[in-house]
Amino acid sequence: CRSSGDGKPAKFQPPPKPVIIDKQKQREERRFLSPEFIPPRGRTDPLKFYIERKDMIQRRKVFNIPEFYVGHVLAVTTADPYANEKTNRFVGICIQRGGKGLGATFVLRNVIEDQGVEICYELYNPRIQAIEVLKLEKRLDDNLMYLRDALPEYSTFDVNMKPVSRLDHEEVPVNKLQVRMKPKPWSKRWERPKYNIKGIKFELPEKKMKEAQKWSQPWLEFDMLREYDTSKLEDKIWHEVSEELKK
Amino acid sequence: MMPIWTKSGKKHAVTLLKVQDCHVLRYISKEESGGKTSKLLVGGKNASPFYKSESAMEIFKEAGVPRKQKVSTFNVTDDAIIKPGSTPLYAAHFRPGQFVDVTAKTIGKGFQGVMKRWGFKGQPASHGQTKTHRRPGAISTNKAAKVYRGKKMPGKMGNIYRTSFGLKVWRINTVHNIIYVNGSVPGHTNCLVKVKDSKLPTYKDCNKNPPFPTFFADGDEKLPEDLYDEEVFQFTDPSVTYA
Repeated sequence: CRSSGDGKPAKFQPPPKPVIIDKQKQREERRFLSPEFIPPRGRTDPLKFYIERKDMIQRRKVFNIPEFYVGHVLAVTTADPYANEKTNRFVGICIQRGGKGLGATFVLRNVIEDQGVEICYELYNPRIQAIEVLKLEKRLDDNLMYLRDALPEYSTFDVNMKPVSRLDHEEVPVNKLQVRMKPKPWSKRWERPKYNIKGIKFELPEKKMKEAQKWSQPWLEFDMLREYDTSKLEDKIWHEVSEELKK
Repeated sequence: MMPIWTKSGKKHAVTLLKVQDCHVLRYISKEESGGKTSKLLVGGKNASPFYKSESAMEIFKEAGVPRKQKVSTFNVTDDAIIKPGSTPLYAAHFRPGQFVDVTAKTIGKGFQGVMKRWGFKGQPASHGQTKTHRRPGAISTNKAAKVYRGKKMPGKMGNIYRTSFGLKVWRINTVHNIIYVNGSVPGHTNCLVKVKDSKLPTYKDCNKNPPFPTFFADGDEKLPEDLYDEEVFQFTDPSVTYA
């Protein structure tokens, strides 16, 4: 037994309590704030964003808008007065998420009977009956507009696809697919550094790639006036939104 | 500006206007002003009293109200007179379904040429044009021997009062005093704006039961936080379906 220096009997030290790391709690810590909640930089009164956010939260309470990124395959059913069953279902890959506030949009692309179709849906449009996420995967880029100039096999998705089951509520998997393109000319010069695309397998000669680097603007990442730090805003808005949605 | 959806699924763009500390400043009777109706001077947003002379501040002292950024006159009939100073004006003075005219100073563009200011076509870019691509060209005829008054020429553009008529009020927020008005409104964001009942003959009988002479907050009527027009889709309802 241990002898203390004072000669008094040693005080009983209870063993340290085991720390239980609850995996469920860790899972909930993963935050996702939809990008349309973050207000753009400008001279508008913050009251306008607050009121818009209230409307957006109200709509989310009634209608579930799932968490999705660019590159996910979604199925959207809208109410259509001219269709047979008054509903219209479209499946496609999300190539772009734009707009802020109530006017937020996302573009779905699919190739149906050899014809490329892109539909721009508004997230808060009351005519949307359901949004289902069929396949979860993030891609290397934020903007997949280059799929228009890629081979059509990369944009075709089965209309009656079954939703791929998701095991853990952990990380969203990133698909590092390098897409092969149709021969040039393309709708935009995707090889230029302005678009900063990592998801294309450029089969262009070295000379063309070097020439494209002439248009690079390396000073842009050091421009301080372009910095828009949204971390604190995001925190505040995330807390506000999650509290409102829990009610 | 925000989108708003109707129950039939159509989308309209809407401008938000906030009613900020509006008070009635003075009553001018018909004989005093010399017009056809009596007038009421109304002041808008609160501002600092230190940047104006004593004589300018007299109106505000008389009414017992802090200095207002903008003062405008409204022609009012005799039964709609409000006592100056005590009663503040709220957004609930307007009701959804009403039609409204909005006046404001347009965005100033500075000294502008004739193509931007008046929409002239200019001249071609090539085919031998010497130093003439955005000029007005001829300004009068030979026989006139003068230039007429009001000839469209380059000059200062914008920063003048303009009105958009017949804008529908879709929704009113009584807590924050916000009016949702259809379409766009002249002026930049956060500029001061004058809202009046519409003078267009098609909307003469549109106001069914407006609060007359104005909406009093300490009265008996307790309004809900949001007042919607009948056709507006409220986000508490489920999604729109076509039966």
